[in-house]
Amino acid sequence: MRKAGSAMGSARVIFDRWDGRYAAAMADVRSSAVRDLFAAASRPDVISLSGGMPDVRRVPHEAVSRAVREALKHDGPAALQYGSSEGRYPLRSTIVGLMAETGVRLSEDDLIVTSGAQQGLDLLAKVFLDPGDTVICEGPTYVGALQAFSVYRPRIEWIETDEHGMRVDLLEETLRRLGPQGAKFIYTIPNFQNPAGVTLTPDRRRRLLELAREYDIPVVEDDPYGRLRYEGGHVLPLRALDADVIYLGTFSKIFAPGLRLGWMAAPRPILAKVLLAKQGADLCGSSFAQSVAEHYMKGTAWRRVLADLTKTYHERRDAMLAALVEHFPADVTWTHPEGGFFVWVTLPAHLDTRPLLAEAVEHGVTFVPGSDFYPDGSGRNSLRLAFCYEEPARIEEGVRRIAEVLEDKLALYRAFVTAGALPVVPGGQRQEVRA
Amino acid sequence: MKEKIAVLMGGRSLEREVSLRSGERVFGALTELGYRAIALDVTSELVDTLRRERPDAVYIALHGRFGEDGTVQEALEFLGIPYTGPGVVASLLAWDKSLSKRLMAAAGVPTPPWVTFTADAFKEMGAAGALDLVPAAVGGFPVVVKPTKQGSALGLTRVADAEALPEALLSALSYGDAALVEKWVDGRELAVSVLDGPDGPAVLPAVEMVAKSGLFDFRAMYTRGETEYYCPARLTPDVTAEVERLAARCHALLGCRDVSRVDMVVDGDGHPWVLEVNTSPGMTETSLLPMAGEAAGLDFKNLVDRLTLAALTRGM
Repeated sequence: MRKAGSAMGSARVIFDRWDGRYAAAMADVRSSAVRDLFAAASRPDVISLSGGMPDVRRVPHEAVSRAVREALKHDGPAALQYGSSEGRYPLRSTIVGLMAETGVRLSEDDLIVTSGAQQGLDLLAKVFLDPGDTVICEGPTYVGALQAFSVYRPRIEWIETDEHGMRVDLLEETLRRLGPQGAKFIYTIPNFQNPAGVTLTPDRRRRLLELAREYDIPVVEDDPYGRLRYEGGHVLPLRALDADVIYLGTFSKIFAPGLRLGWMAAPRPILAKVLLAKQGADLCGSSFAQSVAEHYMKGTAWRRVLADLTKTYHERRDAMLAALVEHFPADVTWTHPEGGFFVWVTLPAHLDTRPLLAEAVEHGVTFVPGSDFYPDGSGRNSLRLAFCYEEPARIEEGVRRIAEVLEDKLALYRAFVTAGALPVVPGGQRQEVRA
Repeated sequence: MKEKIAVLMGGRSLEREVSLRSGERVFGALTELGYRAIALDVTSELVDTLRRERPDAVYIALHGRFGEDGTVQEALEFLGIPYTGPGVVASLLAWDKSLSKRLMAAAGVPTPPWVTFTADAFKEMGAAGALDLVPAAVGGFPVVVKPTKQGSALGLTRVADAEALPEALLSALSYGDAALVEKWVDGRELAVSVLDGPDGPAVLPAVEMVAKSGLFDFRAMYTRGETEYYCPARLTPDVTAEVERLAARCHALLGCRDVSRVDMVVDGDGHPWVLEVNTSPGMTETSLLPMAGEAAGLDFKNLVDRLTLAALTRGM
């Protein structure tokens, strides 16, 4: 859009004088209208159930200060100098250790450090996608991935998701239609998916990999939340089952997103291409941030911080689930995340959550309308709630406020059902069926 | 240096992006014309900024809720700042399609048969049980279902049979507290702009829209190449005269001033039907009022100038 933003403390609009001179590829990349609405509505009294921000207020400053001091003391000039494009070796060793704990065996040369997992998404799109190429993802999926991909103008096929993650039976149908090598990659967030909060079951993980092999299509596994599990046992990452899987990890949820540190593990030929792309993007990541992370991750203090964060998120998830049971009407369904940050809420079909956001903002709460998470605007009757950032009492109040907004529209839906004008759909859930 | 004009745009309406596009073009034209133009978003700072900036007039480039429904007009009257376009009452009447259709029907202006349902009628009175009466009331399917108060065709669905009616109502009522079920009139879709001048209201050449998808919806309206336009519309002189008469009639009937855009359909027999009146027509690159202005020899800049001068001359 043309508007660049409004000036602080005034209603003045600042125009983009350079509009019309940008690359055609940028035409497909848009800031969501919905996000503009948030910007217009960011008041402190508004409870935010929209943003997926880690609660870094719980990361002790002393631990970070110590890591910074040690970075300067031990790595001095090197931490302030350009580094290698693949990232500092000691940090890659740290990552090898982290991955081993989740069941993935790697050597330092199997991975590179990226500026957040987000850069990994951009670099993969850059090295794999020509305009018109096909990418397969989950529906709904991570908005940031859609944004990263869209600059390269792919055609995006989405696969419906249920409480067990991506519907691999539907994936198979799509792959059959597209044929061998019919897509450049399959993008999945198997653990506590953003935005749906669901986890891909072990059976489906195996089937997904079989299909990817059969149709010869690489799998991109995005795993930012894997270590934030609140119940149930660990599920092996796809990368643990198949060394060809491209794996994206991040320090954002186990340390802090402010460092912008993530990593990509991939087959070496792919890594070589990605490194070339990365050199064009930033030559190398921040040596300083990498060194700080190395020192922060030494010893066991970070594990206590992570345990505290996990406990905090666990309490907030429980608060949200309890509030949903308490306040949400019966014809609304939601997912039960075993970890991560998000709950996905589905209303009866034909109700549209986009206009409801404005009403929610008036009630002092925000959510993200479901259609933001689909490449084609599907999912209008759904919405995403984040429980990661607000305190339990505010979460409960936020859910109560959303319930008020929903109740009004649901009363209408029920009136139709009562009159026999609309069929009763179990749980109100009617998944979108792809044409 | 000429007068200071504040262009209001954006806001939290669902048509925010469209309004920003309209506003930017208007702002550009005013600047070229030598006015001291300032561009203002409708935020919680708006009234404060207006009081500080003290513009001589406001150009309303807002669409949708708050901009087109009388809210901002009321506020500007309270602040004593003259503004472009229709006043509070005309805005209210045009914004509520159910109300304006009633007025039109009562005045003998042909408007397709319709019924209005408020959300409360369904929730409190069991109106959903009477949907079987809809076909008889409006003259059969297909019908169009739309919110009574919403611009840019948001929440609008064309419904082919009784089975799809409740779903369409539900989605229209996601956008507001009342919805309209209106007989679908097959034919040529027209936008007829009326502009007040020294000799009274003048009707600009009608614009005919042909959407490639068959439905002139939000996407067709604002995506280049999705719709073909003919201006003047491909009509016989008789039909043209009738269309112009009706546009002027509606402009007067709702008490519009400065400008309005009357949307119509001309059916297969050459009979025009009025669908709605817009009091804050779009001013984007693909908008219909500027297109009609061009056809009448009034370029965008002059159009903006004329509307601005009307507000300045009127004063408060």
